[in-house]
Amino acid sequence: MNVRARIITAGVGAITGAALALGLLWLTTSGPRAAREDASSNLTLSGTLATREAAGFARADRIRPLRFPRDHGPHPAFRNEWWYFTGNLQSGDGRRFGYELSLFRFALRPPPHPARHSQWATDHVYMAHFAVTNAAGKHFHFFERFARNAVGLAGAQAAPFRVWVEDWSVEADTTNGFPWRLRAAADGLELTLELTAVKPIVLQGDRGLSQKSAEPGNASYYYSITRLDSRGTLLLNGERLQVAGQSWMDREWGTSALSEAQQGWDWFALQLADGHDLMFYQLRRKDGSIDPHSAGALVDPRGRITRLGPQDVGVEVLEVWHSPRGGRYPARWRLTVEPLNMTLEVAPVLADQELDVSIRYWEGAVDVGGRRNGETLGGRGYVELTGYGTGGDE
Amino acid sequence: MRALVRRASWRHLWRHPWQMVLAILGVALGVAVAVAVDLANTSAERAFRLSMANLAGEATHQIIGGATGVDERLYTRLRIDAGLRASAPVVEAYGKSGDETLHVLGVDIFAEQSIRGHLNGISEVALQRLLSHPNTVLMADLTARRLGLAPGGRFTLRLGGRRTEVELTGVLATSARTAAALDGLVTTDIATAQELAGVVGRLSWIDLVLPEGEQGKDLRRRVERLLPPEVTLVAAAARTEAMTQMTRAFHINLTAMSLLALLVGVFLIYNTMTFAVLQRRGLIGTLRVLGVTRAEIFRVVLGEAVLIGVVGTVLGIVIGIVLGQGLVRLVTRTIDDLYFALTVGSLLLTPAPLIKGSLMGLAATLLAALAPAMEAATTVPRTALTRSELERRVRSLAPRLALLGALLALGALVILLLPTRDLVTGFVSLFMLILGMTLIAPAVVAGVTHLLAPVAGRLFGIQARLAIRGIAASLSRTGVAIAALMLAVSTTVGVGVMVSSFRSTVAVWLDATLRADIYISAPSLRSSRTASQLDPQIVQHVRAVPGIEAIASGRSVTVESGHGLTEVFALERPPGRGPRYLLRAGDPAAVWRAFGANEAVLVSEPYAYRHGIGIGDRVRLRTDDGERTFPVAGVYYDYESGPGVVLMNRELYERHYRDRAIGALGLYLRPDAAMDEVMAALRAALGGGQEVLIRSNREIRQASLEIFDRTFTITNVLRLLSILVAFIGILSALMALQLERAKELAILRATGFTPAQVTGLVTVQTGFMGLVAGVLAVPVGLVMSLILIHVINRRAFGWSMQTLVPADVLIQAVLLALLAALIAGLYPGWRMARTRPAAALREE
Repeated sequence: MNVRARIITAGVGAITGAALALGLLWLTTSGPRAAREDASSNLTLSGTLATREAAGFARADRIRPLRFPRDHGPHPAFRNEWWYFTGNLQSGDGRRFGYELSLFRFALRPPPHPARHSQWATDHVYMAHFAVTNAAGKHFHFFERFARNAVGLAGAQAAPFRVWVEDWSVEADTTNGFPWRLRAAADGLELTLELTAVKPIVLQGDRGLSQKSAEPGNASYYYSITRLDSRGTLLLNGERLQVAGQSWMDREWGTSALSEAQQGWDWFALQLADGHDLMFYQLRRKDGSIDPHSAGALVDPRGRITRLGPQDVGVEVLEVWHSPRGGRYPARWRLTVEPLNMTLEVAPVLADQELDVSIRYWEGAVDVGGRRNGETLGGRGYVELTGYGTGGDE
Repeated sequence: MRALVRRASWRHLWRHPWQMVLAILGVALGVAVAVAVDLANTSAERAFRLSMANLAGEATHQIIGGATGVDERLYTRLRIDAGLRASAPVVEAYGKSGDETLHVLGVDIFAEQSIRGHLNGISEVALQRLLSHPNTVLMADLTARRLGLAPGGRFTLRLGGRRTEVELTGVLATSARTAAALDGLVTTDIATAQELAGVVGRLSWIDLVLPEGEQGKDLRRRVERLLPPEVTLVAAAARTEAMTQMTRAFHINLTAMSLLALLVGVFLIYNTMTFAVLQRRGLIGTLRVLGVTRAEIFRVVLGEAVLIGVVGTVLGIVIGIVLGQGLVRLVTRTIDDLYFALTVGSLLLTPAPLIKGSLMGLAATLLAALAPAMEAATTVPRTALTRSELERRVRSLAPRLALLGALLALGALVILLLPTRDLVTGFVSLFMLILGMTLIAPAVVAGVTHLLAPVAGRLFGIQARLAIRGIAASLSRTGVAIAALMLAVSTTVGVGVMVSSFRSTVAVWLDATLRADIYISAPSLRSSRTASQLDPQIVQHVRAVPGIEAIASGRSVTVESGHGLTEVFALERPPGRGPRYLLRAGDPAAVWRAFGANEAVLVSEPYAYRHGIGIGDRVRLRTDDGERTFPVAGVYYDYESGPGVVLMNRELYERHYRDRAIGALGLYLRPDAAMDEVMAALRAALGGGQEVLIRSNREIRQASLEIFDRTFTITNVLRLLSILVAFIGILSALMALQLERAKELAILRATGFTPAQVTGLVTVQTGFMGLVAGVLAVPVGLVMSLILIHVINRRAFGWSMQTLVPADVLIQAVLLALLAALIAGLYPGWRMARTRPAAALREE
């Protein structure tokens, strides 16, 4: 979930537009300030564009049986789609790292698509974000990249599974199954991981249909693999480190999701030391209240699911962080999950894990501490916060 | 005292306004032509450099392809396997909308940011549309305005025989800085560009930004390892330089022509200033008696010259800018015809040509005024030099000038014989020769009048004798006027003979070369790097048309290396048909055997000259298998391509280039087939598909000659301008001369000459001057044409041509001189006849 849904609202236009205006430009030439100013105007503009052009795309308006590996691949009839990988890693010498590699697909126009001769002709654009949190070095690296779904520059396929934006990719060696290889490199930073699922696929929402607001079709198909054993190497500052840890994959596709009244969300993906994984997203409304479509799930070590509604999880903000780029983010939380008799304290390993890219958001590694049924509980995870940066997401 | 001198000077100028106006006009026109040519040249070159720089953007290097560009898959490999971020694919083509040449640039917007910035102001809506909708384009605001288009508007783009209705999706806002680079540029998505140009699967080149230093070298090595043999990595700057160098000779030629006009202008100024001094010799003598120093006199005369120079130069620059507007189109079109497609929207007003023009105008004026000023300064007090004394001095000076002229001419010949190919040296000797001849002119005039005066007297009576003697008697003015006119007219002779020699050579060459009866080709702009090609089905359709006995095919591609562009022409001759090329060097039988056996290639004459290549040498070409050398079997005449062509048998071409396309067909008809019927059948068979040109032998010959004539439009324009300058020169000289002789003519009137007789006298005199100038211009012009043909043209383009001296050019030249002189003599003659002798005599 995450940035993702916000992008859905903003729509295709925002992405291509913001991407073009800001993406590479931001990384290469102009400063963040200019980028932000452009972003706001782009988003305003694209809001109207998105509503106008939702017609013609398939909608997530009913339960469709999800099958694998087929549904690991792209769903071009829907407007947006993403493959989200986040994970907490540790090097041999005990240093702590977090990473995010998310790949997005955006349709440029609804079907039917005109027949074209050129291989470069495209109806989809891919965007990717790559970030690494160096907890010990207190440094957060992030990158953004765009490519067209043509001539092999970017794309996705189901079998063997592969999704890539140029040389950032996640792919399976064989037709069906793990391990998957994750590769991303930018600016001297290089991450290669081998991912192996240790839990089955979790269908979120109702058999994979995740309703995001009241209007029918404002939903997505959503599944997760909440625990992937990860090991590989991280090249950082010229140093090649062996790293290992746990990753989490989220997959989502749809055409529209949030309603006008919704502002953003806080999304938690926590992997607890006792083998449980907790996912919960809280949709915030513009009036400050919590949207009833907020939802989550607890996955036990064997993959069994307990679904959670907005009334089941209390989120209390303990601290705030002021972004130097503007905006005020929550920075430490207490999550109370009453039905499970669980209280968790979630704290970022680094305050500034904000990605100042086409759409500004915070996505960072967190430490988890707390109790369940009176027993001490630790863990790690990832949190995503959108709709907090002033300008960018408003 | 100084005020007095100044007032005297001022009043003199004021009382002789026509003299002033003509002198100013002379300077103005000379400066105007020089400025106009310089502006047009600089605009074309700067537009070219700017558009190259803008195209290259931040790119330091480019990967350029073989005959048909770069395989698009290479780009994906670079991005993914080599992880090369700062890289961008480009598909380039040249198209037309109406008469406007448009430079189509297909880019990947996601790769652009690291290379080019010109998409920055475009709205995301437009970019998204560009990306997802076929046939959508962007262009600069000023180009859109010129084409009468607004965003959302549609227009027809013609590209390689295809007409496509395209939508203007957005406009690029231009600033003064970017206007020249972006004007005429049509930016579109790379997919659309491939489809518009019919080059699906191919890229024109790939831009790279490689960092400097060791890191860059490493990266470069990594990239080079990925490159297939048909592509190569070149530095962007070197590439621009190589392209710019190709047109250098052309620009030098234009500059030389414009300097000629200025030279004529200098004569004019000299003439005016000399006259202004002579007219006032009495006054100057008086001033000297009053205590005015030589330096003061010198300064005053130079001051007058500066005044004329400044006014003339300012006027000249204004006229030059106007003239340049027209000229820049001509220059662009010629570069288009001869070298490569170039889009220059408008004249670029850079300060350099204006400053250069101003300095040239002032310097020329001062230089021309120097001698008269010195003469004025050396005037003896009180009894200023008598007129006859001066003329005596000039007459005795004439042989010395002639000697100097002869030395100059001799020096020119020596320079011509130097074993060099330098174009500038060629022009230096040409100018020296012209100057030499001009210096000889006064002596010749003196000699001729001396010889002819008695003859004329015996034949036509006293009037004629008086008239002709009068020319020698005022040699200080007539000599210069005649020399200036001769110079201008000889230029027309020289250029005229050169152009007609060239044209007849080309016509003969076309007759010999165009052996097929009908030619079919895709319309294309010259040397646009995506060579035009015929759709394969067209070839099929043509084969089915009855009445065709044999078909030849040609394919012209441009192979680029870091050293520039080479045109390769792949020829497939139908069996049993004789070769259609005229050989400059090589035994035909042996040449064509080697060619047919794929053992060797032929090169065109310009190519051979430019690269110093002859039979037995090898040419180095980039092929799809990497660099290869081919032995040269022969050199053939070719007047189509400026840079030159490498001619290759089709089989040999296909062996080295993975390109099977055909660019043009030559059809040989059966003896019994009727041309009209076959043409009609072809039109019917080929209608509806790709737009192709079906032209008969005769039509193509005509079209070729039209292009030829177009190429020389600029030359003709410049020629006319220099005649205009000369005409004004002779007008002012004659007016001065005749006005000065008012007293002399009045005496004639007093001794019984009728007004008609005086008019006759003046007419004979001016007519004779024109005739002398015209007759002298013929040999000088011929020598000039020989240098133009055998030295300048050869060094500039490598073309050789038969010298052809058309009588009409020579007769026209003499008549032109005569007519110019007669017209110039009209007003002074009329005025003299009207003068009341008593008044004229009293004036002294």
